[in-house]
Amino acid sequence: MLNSLIFIALPYVALALLLLVTPYRFLSNRLTWTAYSTQFLERKVLYWGINPWHYGILPILLAHIVGFAFPGVFKRFLGNPETLVGVESVLFGLGAFAVLGVLLLLLRRVNSGMLKRVTFSSDWLILYLLLFQAGTGIYIGYFMRWGSQWYLHTAVPYLWSIVSFQPQIDYVADLPLVFKLHAACAFLIVAVLPFTKLVHMLYLPVDFLKDPPLLYRWRSK
Amino acid sequence: MDVRAQIVMVFNLDKCIGCHTCSISCKNIWTDRKGAEYMWWNNVETKPGVGYPRQWEDQERFKGGWVVDGKKLKLKAMGKGPTLANMFFQPNMPKVEDYYEPFDFDYGNLAGAKEGKDQPVAEAFSQISGKKIEEIQGGPNWDDDLSGSQVYAAKDLNLKDKKVIESYDSMFMQYLPRICNHCLNPACVASCPSRALYKRGEDGIVLVDQEVCKGWRFCTSACPYKKVYFNWNTGKAEKCIFCYPRVETGQCNACAHSCVGRIRYVGVLLYDADAVEAAALKGDAELVEAHREVILDPRDPEVCRKAKENGISDNWLEAAAASPVYTLVKEFGIALPLHPEFRTMPMAYYIPSLSPVLSTWGDTHKLLEHGMIPALETLRVPIGYLASLLSAGNEGVIEEALKKLIALRVQMRAENLGLPADPALLQEAGLDEAAAKRLYRLFTVAGYNERNVIPPQQREEDDPQRRKQEAGFGILKKTRGGSK
Repeated sequence: MLNSLIFIALPYVALALLLLVTPYRFLSNRLTWTAYSTQFLERKVLYWGINPWHYGILPILLAHIVGFAFPGVFKRFLGNPETLVGVESVLFGLGAFAVLGVLLLLLRRVNSGMLKRVTFSSDWLILYLLLFQAGTGIYIGYFMRWGSQWYLHTAVPYLWSIVSFQPQIDYVADLPLVFKLHAACAFLIVAVLPFTKLVHMLYLPVDFLKDPPLLYRWRSK
Repeated sequence: MDVRAQIVMVFNLDKCIGCHTCSISCKNIWTDRKGAEYMWWNNVETKPGVGYPRQWEDQERFKGGWVVDGKKLKLKAMGKGPTLANMFFQPNMPKVEDYYEPFDFDYGNLAGAKEGKDQPVAEAFSQISGKKIEEIQGGPNWDDDLSGSQVYAAKDLNLKDKKVIESYDSMFMQYLPRICNHCLNPACVASCPSRALYKRGEDGIVLVDQEVCKGWRFCTSACPYKKVYFNWNTGKAEKCIFCYPRVETGQCNACAHSCVGRIRYVGVLLYDADAVEAAALKGDAELVEAHREVILDPRDPEVCRKAKENGISDNWLEAAAASPVYTLVKEFGIALPLHPEFRTMPMAYYIPSLSPVLSTWGDTHKLLEHGMIPALETLRVPIGYLASLLSAGNEGVIEEALKKLIALRVQMRAENLGLPADPALLQEAGLDEAAAKRLYRLFTVAGYNERNVIPPQQREEDDPQRRKQEAGFGILKKTRGGSK
């Protein structure tokens, strides 16, 4: 029952929300599409929170996505035990860095008069979700060793079964509870993404890298 | 030659009385909103002073504007790679304390307080946190009129010799009203990773597209004038819009319209877009000249032909020919760009102030020789100070402009009093009597339509059939596949 909820119901609900709500919000309410930076109001703690968080979590997120997209390449890459130890250590370090960052981001919003005005329930929600996600992540990294290897044999085929609409939860059904919570929280984050400021991660500024410095807009052209 | 039109404002600093009416009218129309309380798209500073935000001119700290790197211009702050790397925490962004914590007063308490022994008072509270403020720490014009202050004025980066303000004999004071300069080479536009900031092709107004802005905040520090602000409520950037809804219909901006001293002139300049980059690459001393060279003569038939090729309409060309801005900036060369060394090619120009029209103390007899108006050499305002503000340190440019202003005053004073005027003074300054009359008129009695020559844009007339049939005259949304 719990397995069906976490591994079938939740991912499809999350996927449906992501695919339907995101374009709806983009088309109807782009004025709220921003990262809602609070650097203007508080910058001292932010510096130590926001940089570790992003620089820690982005490579880890990327590793999850690339591992999902190209499992074959990854299996070959991690076949060498020395590479595996190296990758695991680096990712664990980055994970710890991210947890520290998100913890600071959470604590800085407590008891700050200025930030209180720009802190809404959705901010607390995503901060707690992200803290939980990063926390369970490094727990798994430490206590369920070689996750980058077994991820490719359990979660990846399961995720492929989800996106191809033939859910096979046998791949992940017998894994420990902490893994299931990690997966459930991941789906929850995807589900709330289109409703919160997390949408800022869906817009990567790449156009400006190739554009000329000045941008003109003409009414007639 | 790529001829484009730019709508430009000129400020006659001699006439600014520092009343802040411009700031108030702007605030009432545009920034009286949550998140924008601290923003003053138009503000007036006392000079010498630190300004708003404090010490905005310090580019070593805020890293605004452009620098010359070999034969190219680059943003002073950072290139594109570092921009991506600094996206999460923007190291140069000014913080709220650099402006001030916006406050209001609890007026409700005056009527609603419980009966007690003491008179109720309206206490100050923060418009951000809502908490009571025991002692207000700053405001948009916190050093108003404190041009002799060791706390504020002494920190003015343009003031090389701090001794000047220590003595009553030599201190001076002027006002500096500032709006967005709607630069030809805007650093804010170049710094935006989302490409939300853009310059309008038709009139050169620089705007932030609120739908595209993602709040990465690079513009707030890239603008060397600190005229792009971060709205803490919407999480997006905002700036002066040159009152485009008014200007498009031929009305004057709110700040210029409400100006009590009638110090502002609004008009069209034609410029050569191909020459802008080369001009911004010039050395500091040649920058003012480079500004003037980019501006084209609207009466030159070749310029008009090229302008028409670029779609500039006849009424815009007429306005350019009648532009008071062209007269002041190019023809007489008395209106100068603010801090041209930031290399954004700012399109707001300032007529330097003689104010106070006094010489240093003790030179009264010299004054009499010169008809009560001090000669350039005895003027109290240090030329170097004005040069640091308005000509990237080139004192020659300032002297040229001041000579004209002084000669004009001497001439008109003599004329009004029926005294003989010395025509040599005018000639030396590069003016003649007719020119003096024109300038005198512009500075004094010129009416609204002479000071502001703003051609309406007649948007309703471009492609009226389609606009009316498909969108109505209210241009609400782009049609599918672009606007044309």
